[in-house]
Amino acid sequence: MKQLDIGLTLVADSPIDKLSTRVGAKWENLRAARERAVEKRRVLQADLSEFENADSSIIVYGSLGRDEFTLGSDLDWTLLVDGIADPAHLEVALAIKDKLEELGHKAPGREGVFGSLAFSHELIHQIGGQDDTNANTTRRILLLLESTVIGKRDAHKRVLSSVLHRYLKEDRGLWHGSTQFRVPRFLLNDIARYWRTMAVDFAAKQRARGNEGFAMRNIKLRMSRKLIFISGLLACFSCHLDVDESEKQKIFPAIAVQPLVEHLYRRLKLTPLESLADTLLRFEGLDTWSAQLFKAYDDFLGILADESILRNGKTQRVHLERLSVDELDADPIFQRTREISHRFRDAVNEIFLRSSTELSRLTIEYGVF
Amino acid sequence: MRPIGFSTGAVAYSDFQRALELLAVERVNCIELSALRLHEVGPLLNAIGTLDLHRYKYVSFHAPSRFSGEEEPPLVEQLKRVPREWPIVLHPDVIHSSAIWRQFGPQLAIENMDRRKSWGRTLEELTKTFDELPDATMCFDIGHARQCDTSMTEAYRILKSFQHRLKQIHVSEVNTASRHDPVSYAAKIAFQEVAYLIPSNVPVIIESRVNQAEIGREICRVTEALPDHSWLPLLANA
Repeated sequence: MKQLDIGLTLVADSPIDKLSTRVGAKWENLRAARERAVEKRRVLQADLSEFENADSSIIVYGSLGRDEFTLGSDLDWTLLVDGIADPAHLEVALAIKDKLEELGHKAPGREGVFGSLAFSHELIHQIGGQDDTNANTTRRILLLLESTVIGKRDAHKRVLSSVLHRYLKEDRGLWHGSTQFRVPRFLLNDIARYWRTMAVDFAAKQRARGNEGFAMRNIKLRMSRKLIFISGLLACFSCHLDVDESEKQKIFPAIAVQPLVEHLYRRLKLTPLESLADTLLRFEGLDTWSAQLFKAYDDFLGILADESILRNGKTQRVHLERLSVDELDADPIFQRTREISHRFRDAVNEIFLRSSTELSRLTIEYGVF
Repeated sequence: MRPIGFSTGAVAYSDFQRALELLAVERVNCIELSALRLHEVGPLLNAIGTLDLHRYKYVSFHAPSRFSGEEEPPLVEQLKRVPREWPIVLHPDVIHSSAIWRQFGPQLAIENMDRRKSWGRTLEELTKTFDELPDATMCFDIGHARQCDTSMTEAYRILKSFQHRLKQIHVSEVNTASRHDPVSYAAKIAFQEVAYLIPSNVPVIIESRVNQAEIGREICRVTEALPDHSWLPLLANA
């Protein structure tokens, strides 16, 4: 197959670069993480090429999907199957797992959500209800918000489009509602549900693991997990903000689902940070807060990426991963991550809740009640 | 009602004479003469002058779906005998040299392909083909488009971009083995979602493999699947 869009090159006119130029900032850690992610995907594409198939896609999530890759990042992946059931699919998934281990990649987290098979039917048909397990919700929402493909994209594109089609077509309020905003609530509610699920699971893991790994999970919840939620909100808001009035006049009276699927598909190809930058470029009056937000995130990635060794023989990342809860208050590195997360939080709150822009109006209208 | 008819290959495999006999009693006003295999081209071209096609207001010719690079130039020579007013439907994945097909201009109708094929399935791939064949028209296979993307988003993208090239529509349900089945309820509701993008005067050619008894029922199904939206001109030009 001739690949036309394989996402293995740096985007020259990234919205992040445009925003950094406008606010006069340099976010070197973001740039370095993006370059590492692109390079890592290029290497993986070569390493995993024998597993390519038009009926399945190798999906990567997490920092590699978000272009926030650091040397200590683990590799969250699934083999997404969208084709005739084949017992060999499991063998392929196991072979991918073996290959990645052989190549020295850090394995996915211990919950078992990643690192194996995922099926299109579950992702498409089981939205809500008792069969929509925590793992299924996680795979589906992260497929939308932070996934990218290694190799053939066919299955990924089909499944993503079908999931979006369900969220949009079955959203009666989107097509028949009387509100002035055109925001897909079914999709938005699922994204909001996932954000709250992550927050609740944070507490559950704290209990189940006896606080082990608290510091790192805490900072990730405050930063990268919150960013994922924000990018989901923005994707939903983009149906209102980015589709011009004349298009809306064509789309909504006719209940033309596909133009909105296409719009969201394109939108979701942006990483969460690109999505955020793309939106903030429209609000020049918020540049001070935009700069603060991105600087905080850049600082956060700087800590995760820092390979220098502390006096205790660990990197900052490993130090945070192994820090006990009793040491948190007195630990300067954890306190610095807290300070970074507070700057991030303050900027997010200003932009999304107090800015008196269409963004804050939409957030209050859809993001709270 | 849209102009509608069958591909001869759908009602009588590899036997256009038999297909024309079967269709003679049906309510169809379009026909696609199918020569999907290379060896079928000569006999079909030789028979053209003898065929009773007066009832059809639209006739097209489906070129073979497989041939080698050496076979391509003589095939092109043969196809020059197809009447100029009949579109020649061609699969983009079988083209070896675009240059020798360019001479057909708008008579050449490029078809979007199914999942099995290596090319011609998506908007991006078709755009490259049309870049090579800028005057070519399009045969939009809605069954192929659905097989590639059941959300019909790819179908929407292709139709939106190439509506001005549309020459005819192929309709059937393309199953997982890429065979052309009768249109099911699931396919019907999917096709209905993009039917508004197909101008009502574009001929619809049914490719569902059906026996004689099923021809009328399949026409009804396809008519339901592609309702005439000529009352929505604004939207159709979206």
